[in-house]
Amino acid sequence: MTSVDQHQQASFDALLRPHLDRLYRFAFRLAGAKPEAEDLFQDVLTKVFARMGDLVELKEPGAWLCRVMYNHFIDGRRRYARQRLVSVSEDQLPEKSLESLPGKLDPVRDVERLDNIMQLQRALDSLSDDHRLVVLLHDSEGYKLSEIQEITGDPVGTIKSRLHRARARLREILSADGTISSL
Amino acid sequence: MTCNLINEKLDDYVDAQLDVADMHSLDEHTAQCADCQEILDRERILRASLKEYGDSSMPQPDAAFFDRALAKAAQSGTRRQRNRWVMTGFGGAMAAALVLWIVSGTIFEAPEFSEPSIATIAMVIEEPRTVNLVFSSATPLTDATMTVTLPEGIEVMGFQGQREITWMTSLKEGKNILPLTLIATSPLGGELLATLRHADDDRTFRVQVTVI
Repeated sequence: MTSVDQHQQASFDALLRPHLDRLYRFAFRLAGAKPEAEDLFQDVLTKVFARMGDLVELKEPGAWLCRVMYNHFIDGRRRYARQRLVSVSEDQLPEKSLESLPGKLDPVRDVERLDNIMQLQRALDSLSDDHRLVVLLHDSEGYKLSEIQEITGDPVGTIKSRLHRARARLREILSADGTISSL
Repeated sequence: MTCNLINEKLDDYVDAQLDVADMHSLDEHTAQCADCQEILDRERILRASLKEYGDSSMPQPDAAFFDRALAKAAQSGTRRQRNRWVMTGFGGAMAAALVLWIVSGTIFEAPEFSEPSIATIAMVIEEPRTVNLVFSSATPLTDATMTVTLPEGIEVMGFQGQREITWMTSLKEGKNILPLTLIATSPLGGELLATLRHADDDRTFRVQVTVI
């Protein structure tokens, strides 16, 4: 590797690293499974390397990076989202899920909460891709409507409508199976 | 206020997106209506669960994943762009970046605004600072040489201990940006030179670095 290559790599590293956590989470929200999310993450980083010049004058590179990832995902949706077609089973949940839940000193309560989380995940998986993405970005990841608009390019009214319908559907599913009363 | 309103405005109410009057009305209604209070409680629990789901469902990459991904992206990109100088920079540091310009000669066109004769930057010891050198070229150039000469106690990140760094490069037509992230390791300061050579022509940036 030449000195200019090293310098480019150091620049790339410094430029991207502050945004990697958010970008990784966004990739997972889009793809829904770790292997596909990491493929998407890697492909977008490689793509962005050739466009570092575009980042120079941006005040908020994080939003730009998410937009690039979203567009890349839409273009290759079949590849990156194929795991969505597989129903979730208990052994697919991360091992640390249970440990990360509050109240881990109460094993019975933990099991109930894990069960509820799995019910919620199944309910989320039953939503359309657009509805699931909006509710996860807004309610789970804390994105503002305006940020989702900037990433997807959809009007705020459309995003708000999807969010409303997604929540209504979740309420319906989780009420019907009794989960929502025990959450 | 009727019970139907809580269903119509539930999302905006929980998101605190209603105007003050509507928020107040719904506050009063839910305080008196057990059914609506239950709807509200369930919605808040659902929101809390979605929030909790955000972290509990998120897998963690292994410790070196980000390092590997960055390196792989850079190596892959570099292979495609070898011998071609890409515009690059530190977006997050632009506010603190010093932008310099090379003026026209036989090979370089003039920038739109005046060039400082010698720029000065102030640095703090061990605190990185990015200087963007901006080259404006009228035509694409290949086989140019860039040489950066550093005063004692000033280093370019990634090239610790090197006082002079030289590489072959190319310029594309228009604006080309070279970011240099500097670190001061001593209070001496001095003059940094960045010289671009092409054929028999050359241009030099002079940057006076003072260390606080």
